Amino acid sequence: MRLITRIAIRLTLALAPLMIVWAVLFYFALIKEINDEMDDSLETYSEMIIVRMLSHQELPALNSGSNNSYSIHPVDSIYAKTHDGIVYSDIEVYILEREEYEPARVLTTIFEDDEGRFYELRVSSPSFERDELAAAILRWLALIYLILLIIVILTTILVLRHNIQPLYALLHWLDRYQPGHKPEAVPNDTNIPEFRRLNNAAQKAVERSEHLFEQQKNFIGNASHELQTPLAIIGNRIEWIIDNTNPTEEQLEQLIGVNHSLANIVKLNKTLLLLTKIDNGQFPEMNDVDIAALIRDEVEIYGEIFEERNIECCINGTESLTIPINRTLAVTLVGNLVRNAYIHSPENSRIDVSINYDKLEISNDGDTPLDAEHVFDRFYRATKREGSTGLGLALVKAIADYYSLDVEYRFKNKKHIFTITRPKN
Amino acid sequence: MCIMKILIIEDESSLRELMQRTLQQERYVVETAADFAEAEGKIAGYDYDCILLDIMLPDGNGLKLLEQIKAMRKRDNVIIISARDSLEDRIAGLEQGADDYLPKPFHLAELVARIRSVIRRSQGRGDMSLTIGNVRLDPSSSRVFVNDQELELLKKEFTILHYFIQRPRHLIDKAVLAEAVWGDHADQADNFHFVYAQVKNLRRKLDAANASIELKSVYGFGYKLVEREP
Repeated sequence: MRLITRIAIRLTLALAPLMIVWAVLFYFALIKEINDEMDDSLETYSEMIIVRMLSHQELPALNSGSNNSYSIHPVDSIYAKTHDGIVYSDIEVYILEREEYEPARVLTTIFEDDEGRFYELRVSSPSFERDELAAAILRWLALIYLILLIIVILTTILVLRHNIQPLYALLHWLDRYQPGHKPEAVPNDTNIPEFRRLNNAAQKAVERSEHLFEQQKNFIGNASHELQTPLAIIGNRIEWIIDNTNPTEEQLEQLIGVNHSLANIVKLNKTLLLLTKIDNGQFPEMNDVDIAALIRDEVEIYGEIFEERNIECCINGTESLTIPINRTLAVTLVGNLVRNAYIHSPENSRIDVSINYDKLEISNDGDTPLDAEHVFDRFYRATKREGSTGLGLALVKAIADYYSLDVEYRFKNKKHIFTITRPKN
Repeated sequence: MCIMKILIIEDESSLRELMQRTLQQERYVVETAADFAEAEGKIAGYDYDCILLDIMLPDGNGLKLLEQIKAMRKRDNVIIISARDSLEDRIAGLEQGADDYLPKPFHLAELVARIRSVIRRSQGRGDMSLTIGNVRLDPSSSRVFVNDQELELLKKEFTILHYFIQRPRHLIDKAVLAEAVWGDHADQADNFHFVYAQVKNLRRKLDAANASIELKSVYGFGYKLVEREP
């Protein structure tokens, strides 16, 4: 849910109970005010009647045009004693003219004339329908609530839209950021301190992660470099012993064993260096390389090396596919895929290579699928082979990424299939 | 044959000492320099047939030394030895006048072969061929002669012989030979039968031509090129 939508909904919800509380208070305040006014006027009216009565003047007519009406009953002194003072009440009175009951406000009081007789005076004035008032208030309230809501939401959206721009600018910037690529500066032309702080924090966080990324890349590169010289020394010392000390067969076997392990380390080290260089984009030079010819060369060499396994390799598709690519990387890419197919092919099996304009596919027989999610990870190994670096397919992936090619593995009909696709455009 | 003088410029003492020992066994006169300053002095003072130059020195860039050598119009051959095996470094080194570029880690036999090849090239007698016993190999035309009779070899056989003839008397591990001839491709092979098959054919052809050299098998680990006892 977008921030603006969320704020609008929250405001709507928060306003509703507030409006209800306000409506209840308003209703009671209004009734109290009206009653006060009516009571005042009834009191004046009752005083006027009492004064006239006591001074034996003419009493007002019962229907004198005003809606007020009154009645006077004589009461005994005991009743008078117990009903002292002025009492207000709301009652329904029957109005003859309208032939219906109407609500009315009634004042009841007791007075004594100069002959010591007690009278009860009831003065009434037509009042209002409470239900109608409540309904009216509710109607208006709903209207006001709607109007208020629209105004509040519109204002909120306008104000937020205007003030929250820096947040959206920051979000766009974060979307554009790719790890490993130097980010542009955060757009920080706002003078809202909170947003400035947020922008600065984002900039710093990204710079820090860039720095770490860079450091990690350099660390692998530097570590591999530092290993080169000691590796050279070990190899050379063993070579010297072999050439100069006339070792026995057993000793020679051990020395050559050491040399083979050393060769594996050297190869691993070189591959790590190559990966680092690819990640650092240190292969800018491009050549026109015929991928189809390259594959034929590789297949010929591996066919010779793995001759005893009697693997048949069929190359289909175009005869020549020339693309601009760094030759070293092209050889590594294609070589690793072809090599992979040969190494993992059982005896008397078959490798299929299909070369098309935008797609290269290499498939070989196999029994169990590889873990498609991790097959291109560094040091992923389905089977542990002596001398395997576990980096071959990671290299393939790194080179494919370097040239924005898609590389994919799938297992279908008992075949491992590796596909490299050129994105269309 | 006159005595060849070689200067090793390498800061790693262990590697320097090993290179020195190996080259002395090959009957070169070897001098060493451990840093930029020492190397600068020796280059200015003496002439060498070949200078082995590590370009990453603690007190300066080896490429600066290369510049100085060229500025002094010296005819010393320079082989760059570097822990950085990148095309750019290689190109930079060769463009500045280095004769060869050898990335670490390398085999000592490889180093010796490169020095021989560089010196032979600079002597510029037009004859680049390598001769051992009655066998002569001409790399430029890819032809081999035994007693001046041409020996027909297939491409792989020629490459193998070329490799051995540059490294006489050194034991060449089968895995190293495979990598030298078949490239990185060979390092995951099930076995080295494909190497053996090629070597067998080469031996047969050399024997048939009465060559005075042979590829001796050493306990099944590898081969050594030796001259036959007369």
